Amino acid sequence: MKNNLKVERAIKNITQAQLAELIGVSRQTINAMELNKYVPSTVLALKISNIFEKRVNDIFFLDPDD
Amino acid sequence: MKTRYLFPHRYKLFGWIIFGLGMVLGVILSLNEFEYPNWSANVFPLIGEKEGFFAQNKSRTWSENNIADEIASLMIIVGGILVAFCKLKDEDEYSATIRTESLIWATYVNYIVLILSIIIVYDMPFFHVLIYNMFTILLFFILRFHYMIFKTKKMIHYEE
Repeated sequence: MKNNLKVERAIKNITQAQLAELIGVSRQTINAMELNKYVPSTVLALKISNIFEKRVNDIFFLDPDD
Repeated sequence: MKTRYLFPHRYKLFGWIIFGLGMVLGVILSLNEFEYPNWSANVFPLIGEKEGFFAQNKSRTWSENNIADEIASLMIIVGGILVAFCKLKDEDEYSATIRTESLIWATYVNYIVLILSIIIVYDMPFFHVLIYNMFTILLFFILRFHYMIFKTKKMIHYEE
């Protein structure tokens, strides 16, 4: 699975640490998601979609490998 | 994040202390063939060689034993469990995934080591392998989990 978290973060102008604080996870988790090393749970994806006020499908995408 | 089966973070330091002291005592004991330090105390063996259910002398009675190895074992296990299964300061679903994967990894490594030992180690040395094997699964997990957490923290610095 891929995502454009980094782009969304840039649009909203918040750092990894701020996003982490907003959704109640560690900064490492945000970093791992942006590096496509970690696929978040549905709960976390929905929280992120709330923060960016976008649909989950507009932030996370399936990869050909999935 | 809601977690199951984990202890609060505040017990972690206490766990490290107990675990560390237990390891030191264990190492001293194994260097001295489990004879020193000799902390003699009365114990009540339910199962033993001389007393207990399966022994010839069926009488239930107190007997003397060096309890240093018992204390070291209990400290390593209790301390190790606390170190391994206390929440991190920032426990979340990613660290939970790392935790699970590290536990699977530690189980594999522990039994690979045991399988190799079964094949190539015999007699008294094998008994020693069994002694260490009581603790190695915890030890492998603690090393692997903390190394992986350390790696994810280091990864952040490349991203700055």
